[in-house]
Amino acid sequence: MKKSEAGQSRRDFLKLAGTAAPAAAVLSVAGADDAEAAEMSGEGLRKTEHVKQYLESARF
Amino acid sequence: MSQLGTTATADQPAEEERLRAELYGLLSRLLSGPPKAGDLKHLAGLTGDSSDLGQGIAALARVAAITSPKAAEREYNALFIGLGRGELLPYGSYYLTGFLNEKPLALLRDHMTKLGIKRDKSVKEPEDHIATVCEMMAGLITGAYGHSLSVADQEAFFNTHLAVWAGHFFADLEGAEGSLFYAPVGKIGRAFIEIEIEAFRMEN
Repeated sequence: MKKSEAGQSRRDFLKLAGTAAPAAAVLSVAGADDAEAAEMSGEGLRKTEHVKQYLESARF
Repeated sequence: MSQLGTTATADQPAEEERLRAELYGLLSRLLSGPPKAGDLKHLAGLTGDSSDLGQGIAALARVAAITSPKAAEREYNALFIGLGRGELLPYGSYYLTGFLNEKPLALLRDHMTKLGIKRDKSVKEPEDHIATVCEMMAGLITGAYGHSLSVADQEAFFNTHLAVWAGHFFADLEGAEGSLFYAPVGKIGRAFIEIEIEAFRMEN
């Protein structure tokens, strides 16, 4: 199977599987009292904040 | 090149990849600590289709609607904290070797270094906690650590640090004596890990 075809199969499969998971599954940013969730950081950034901001912007 | 609206640019993952990251983020969030009032309200509004994953989401919505933050906190503590330990030990090392802080953790730390992922020193728990590994997967998909990993590299990370044990953990979570709110979290986790395994297999 060509790489691009295999990749397309994976994407199609994920699209099908992903319809079960609503975009609204993203929990909103709770705020400063989120100490437990802030576990990792990368490159000096608070990674959790970075991911949260990304997830916020990814909502549709 | 765009296919049915799921355009992937150099930095921005395609829609289905973002959905994966969202699910890892959801699991990470709920396994890092108990849901708060706002989280429970939000979860109560979710819906799911007839698939395993969808049924898990629907069940989570139903239980979230009748769970108070206090009850969720008690349940989380009983499952994961306890007095020294909870009902479950959600660590890769434990599932793979029977002990905490073992070789799986050492391997994970090694890979974290290579990937430029730094641990938060204020967190006491070792990094092979299910919530932390899920958070890492979300970050590797979205490029939180510098750049998005290729699917092949994501698969390598997933196979080493999640595929080998996470399914078992989520099944244990679903069936745990103390699980009420967290039972559907287990179901969602188990269904999602299976989807990930299957999807990665298709890439090859």
